[in-house]
Amino acid sequence: MNDVLVSVENLSAGYGKPVAEDVDFAVRGGEVLVLIGPNGGGKSTLLRTLAGELKKLGGKVLLCGIDTDRLSPKERAKRLSVLLTARPRTDRMTCREVVETGRYPYTGRFGVLSRDDKNAVKRALELAGVSELSDCDFSRISDGQRQRVMLARAVCQEPEVMILDEPTSYLDIHHKLIFLDSLQTLAKEKSVAVILSMHELDLAEKIADRAVCIKDGHVFRSGTPDEIFKEEVLRELFDLPDELYKKYFVKGKSL
Amino acid sequence: MRRLKFKTAAVFAGLAALSLVLLGANLFIGSVRLSAVETVGGLFSGDAIIWKIRLPRAVAAILLGGALALSGYLLQTFFNNPIAGPFVLGVSSGAKLAVALTMIAAAGAGRALNSFSTVAAAFAGSMLSLGFILLVSRKVGRVSLLVVCGVMIGYICSAATDFAVTFAGDADIVNLRDWAMGSFSGTDMDSVAVMAAIVPAASVCAFLLSKPIGAYRLGEGYARSSGVRVGLLRAALIILSGLLAACVTAFAGPVSFVGIAAPHIVRLLLGTSKPTVLIPACFLGGGIFCSACDLVARTAFAPTELGISTVTAIFGAPVVIGIMLRRKRGEAV
Repeated sequence: MNDVLVSVENLSAGYGKPVAEDVDFAVRGGEVLVLIGPNGGGKSTLLRTLAGELKKLGGKVLLCGIDTDRLSPKERAKRLSVLLTARPRTDRMTCREVVETGRYPYTGRFGVLSRDDKNAVKRALELAGVSELSDCDFSRISDGQRQRVMLARAVCQEPEVMILDEPTSYLDIHHKLIFLDSLQTLAKEKSVAVILSMHELDLAEKIADRAVCIKDGHVFRSGTPDEIFKEEVLRELFDLPDELYKKYFVKGKSL
Repeated sequence: MRRLKFKTAAVFAGLAALSLVLLGANLFIGSVRLSAVETVGGLFSGDAIIWKIRLPRAVAAILLGGALALSGYLLQTFFNNPIAGPFVLGVSSGAKLAVALTMIAAAGAGRALNSFSTVAAAFAGSMLSLGFILLVSRKVGRVSLLVVCGVMIGYICSAATDFAVTFAGDADIVNLRDWAMGSFSGTDMDSVAVMAAIVPAASVCAFLLSKPIGAYRLGEGYARSSGVRVGLLRAALIILSGLLAACVTAFAGPVSFVGIAAPHIVRLLLGTSKPTVLIPACFLGGGIFCSACDLVARTAFAPTELGISTVTAIFGAPVVIGIMLRRKRGEAV
């Protein structure tokens, strides 16, 4: 079994005032952890705090065994990369250039790429399946392609932990599946710890090694997919009335 | 890849050649007719027309034009929007008001301002305007609204400047009126020396920020996640752009639209947004734009001179309209 790469202890997160509290979980290399739960429950706030975008309000986050408070931005960037919900608007940047920004923590004063850096970019483009888009303008490709280019960017940062905030929300089902497949390959092949939030419960069940339910700023339940993706947990998690659940969720199948 | 490098090299060669040609033209053409031989001879013999009038003015146009373009580029980076610039955000007008008030106060005390204190006053004014814009930007996220706000700051500062100039004693303001209109005329070698100390130093600092600026193109969140110290970068962008714009305003008054037009044109020419390429190209482009506009300002209706902003607006404002139309069509600009 791989080492624990992220461990979150008693974390409280929020904007000045806590939105999420008493959060504990740990993720090992090669493991995919999915956060599910209703909107406004605190998933995004938690992920943004783990990514270092928000200052945490309390508790501890260990990244590869090191307290994140003691990591410089560059050292953190070498261990952790992200895919955010904000979709960047770029100006005259090719997809390769977008991916290259992932090499930031490794390059020198002017960000000139070494041969190693260029190889890392090339491999990341291949893994995300977007090599043929390398020279296209990032602002002129489809949302699905753009999301995979951003995945390549996160990959070429060569992190040990990746954090993705609702990476599949804007994609059609074809691109959702391609995206999640690349992500799973990445986690397994490179032993990266992946933490992502998503709303598609059917897909979450398939990709998750473990799932954490976040509701009202607390960990409502956590466990293996078998323990989480079942009627009584989901109905309570999303406050689904009996008749609604029966109307839209046929047993054994979900939307 | 190779074609791209060739294109970049060709554009830079073109820009460099054009700035030399315009520098030559600005030395050669003027109210006193000099032949080409006399111009070159005058350059070596220390001729007064060349050395006291035309050379300082021509060099100032290049340095200050470059400073404006870079200031615009840095503000565009900061706000992630191509229509940000020192003039439309009211930075130049803030600097203008501060300089006018300081000049009048100094004249009241019976003293003239030296170049450094003029720049210092302009810097204070530009930082005040920027500070106000930043406060507003916390409330409103949309850059178009910020620009409206900047234009209003510009009008308020200009009105205050006019008011101060109108009621200042006549003797205090011999040069103030011309200056408040914006002009490169009357630049002397001492001023050029001060510009040559400030502008290249600030430009080099901007160039040293190429790497974080490059990462910042994807927005604040991604920049931070790849290891950029975002707070420091944002502070540096504001201080450098304010200093560059202040330096221009201190010596030439407010000059409109160069800060938007020049970066936009070099982006179009180069087809990239790589900061290591764009920063030097913006500088050259701004220098060329201002040199050409100053040539027009001096010669179009000679012996009457046009204000520099009159000319830069004629050539620069259509570029801004063009940018907005392209954005409207949903294209990336």
